[in-house]
Amino acid sequence: MEPQTESEVAATESQLDHSAVSPPGAPLRRERRKQPRAWETPPAPVPPPRLDDYKSIVGTADIDELRFLARELKGKTVKMVNSTAVGGGVAEMLNQLVPLLNEVEVNTRWEVITGGNSFFEVTKAFHNALQGSDYKLTPQARDIFLMHNEQNRQRMQFSEDVVVIHDPQPAGLIRGRQKSSGRWVWRCHIDLSNPNPEVWGFLHPFIEQYDAAIFSSQSFARQLAIPQYLFYPCIDPLSEKNKDLEDNFIQRVCDEFGIDRSRPIVTQVSRFDRAKDPVGVVHAFKQARKYVDCQLVLAGGGASDDPEGAAVLKEVKEAAGEDPDIIILDLPPWCALEINALQRASTLIVQKSIREGFGLTVTEALWKGKPTIAGAVGGIPNQIIHKLTGVLVHSVEGCAYQMRYLLTHPDFAEQLGQNGREHVKENFLMTTNVRRWLLLTRILLTGAA
Amino acid sequence: MTSTLAATPSTVVKPFYFNTSAHLLRINRQKANTLPEFLDALRECPEGSIFQHSFRTLQEHHFIREGFSNDFAHWVLSACNEPSLAEGLASVDVREFTSVAQLRDRFIQIVENFLQHSPAAGTRIARETFYFCASDTVVIPTSFVAHTLREFAEGLRGVSVHCIHHHFIEARLRLKLMSNDFSQWLYEDLGLTESARQLNRIDIYTVTLEDVREQIIRIVERALL
Repeated sequence: MEPQTESEVAATESQLDHSAVSPPGAPLRRERRKQPRAWETPPAPVPPPRLDDYKSIVGTADIDELRFLARELKGKTVKMVNSTAVGGGVAEMLNQLVPLLNEVEVNTRWEVITGGNSFFEVTKAFHNALQGSDYKLTPQARDIFLMHNEQNRQRMQFSEDVVVIHDPQPAGLIRGRQKSSGRWVWRCHIDLSNPNPEVWGFLHPFIEQYDAAIFSSQSFARQLAIPQYLFYPCIDPLSEKNKDLEDNFIQRVCDEFGIDRSRPIVTQVSRFDRAKDPVGVVHAFKQARKYVDCQLVLAGGGASDDPEGAAVLKEVKEAAGEDPDIIILDLPPWCALEINALQRASTLIVQKSIREGFGLTVTEALWKGKPTIAGAVGGIPNQIIHKLTGVLVHSVEGCAYQMRYLLTHPDFAEQLGQNGREHVKENFLMTTNVRRWLLLTRILLTGAA
Repeated sequence: MTSTLAATPSTVVKPFYFNTSAHLLRINRQKANTLPEFLDALRECPEGSIFQHSFRTLQEHHFIREGFSNDFAHWVLSACNEPSLAEGLASVDVREFTSVAQLRDRFIQIVENFLQHSPAAGTRIARETFYFCASDTVVIPTSFVAHTLREFAEGLRGVSVHCIHHHFIEARLRLKLMSNDFSQWLYEDLGLTESARQLNRIDIYTVTLEDVREQIIRIVERALL
């Protein structure tokens, strides 16, 4: 859909927010830019993939192994419980996982707890406190948490063989195991490496009643008496954000965003958040560009609905100045295809986070075979084995040096990209996630070998 | 050893069942921020941790050619910046061990020797913590069964690299032999002594598991001629 009038063209260009669109000396190409698909309404949801759809990606043998693994679990039942049906990584993951488990006849139900504003305000505060924020736990907050968990417990049935409770919000449902003979698992998706002691002290007795806990990184785990398993987050290689794209689509997106594919492209994809250090990326780029020709694309979101995001975006623009080679894109959340295209068009991908959860944007970059430079924080070192599947950096200067090095050593960069893709294929794809859930169910119900 | 059976593509022998193993990572209590803590943890951790960070890590990183040997060596180099100790740990070849206890002793001996000669290294804090993990294992059948050498070659082509790891690398812990399931079958059931020996000489540390698979297939195909 192309803008028809001058005002529409102007509005489009304003939304696109290109600090610059072409290399020095080259003619500006604003007139060539069309309104990108990114600004249309969100796409209609697509049906979830089936296991066989992954054969072309991971191979027939791997999919057959999943089916063999599931054979002894045929007819077993699993219930997944979380706090939201839409939005957020957990709901997105369950949307993919539950149909795949059902496909191999592990009957899996997904239920969502209910609660009013007061409950979700408390659980939001718990969530932040467990990730290290200051918080004073009040008796009132405790009562609200317990009351809503109790109401949900009374409303729900727990007759399944395995009950999986996701994250802290419904953790109190463990009291429901009195009316259940199943095995109970707590799946923690957040970073518990430095939790607020009061909130963790309150939740800890609940967690110890589970049969097992699952964390996304070794460093997120706590000292618990129950077994703790490591389930890495995963990406879906068939999703819009990760599926293969036709080159003409990638070209079209680059044209729309004013990116010159004939020159090296360095990209960071992440919301405008200080934890992602986008200003540091701009500084690193400016240092690197003294020695090697390249463009920087900073593609993210969060500036329109988050005051801090807007402030960070402003800082990024100030740091970028009038540099024609820095392209800043504030994209809405439904631009998965465009993000995919930008990643695939890139020569290098950067994720210079100074704090991070697992860092799924790194996973996405590695999956696309892109040489990746990332901060050594959170779950990133699980993905980037330094100089084998990418490079880890600890400073702006280190990031700048690695940009220069990888742009001038394409063979090494390519090898990193290949290794990175294989690393994701082995450890961070949805099929591996299915394998882990089947394994855990089997181990809980029948024991390991 | 001499060949005792005529190994033709149609020879009918005890079938070879291709299995594979799936592993679920468990996070253990032990962790280390210094080399002395690392040494203590090496002594105290369950055998499953030693297995995980040596045998299993080869499977998890089967695609890397460029010098990935085991998690211990990698941490010592990348987080402790001790290249000579890292080289010592990386040189431990899991194929020389038929028990995890022996393997643990070897790692302990290397770290002890290093700290005796370089006590100052023990005072430095690592850049990242080493978390000891272990894995719960489930053995899974595959659809591949070989009654003949030709079917064996077809099975090798069709199975996953996890299956190759299960039979070719992990097997020595089950067998308690300096060998692997493939060589044992070729030797004991087909009498292919030389092929069995050639398989045992494949270097698993300088190639990927896919390369290992290709080398095994080439040796088997030569035996088919």
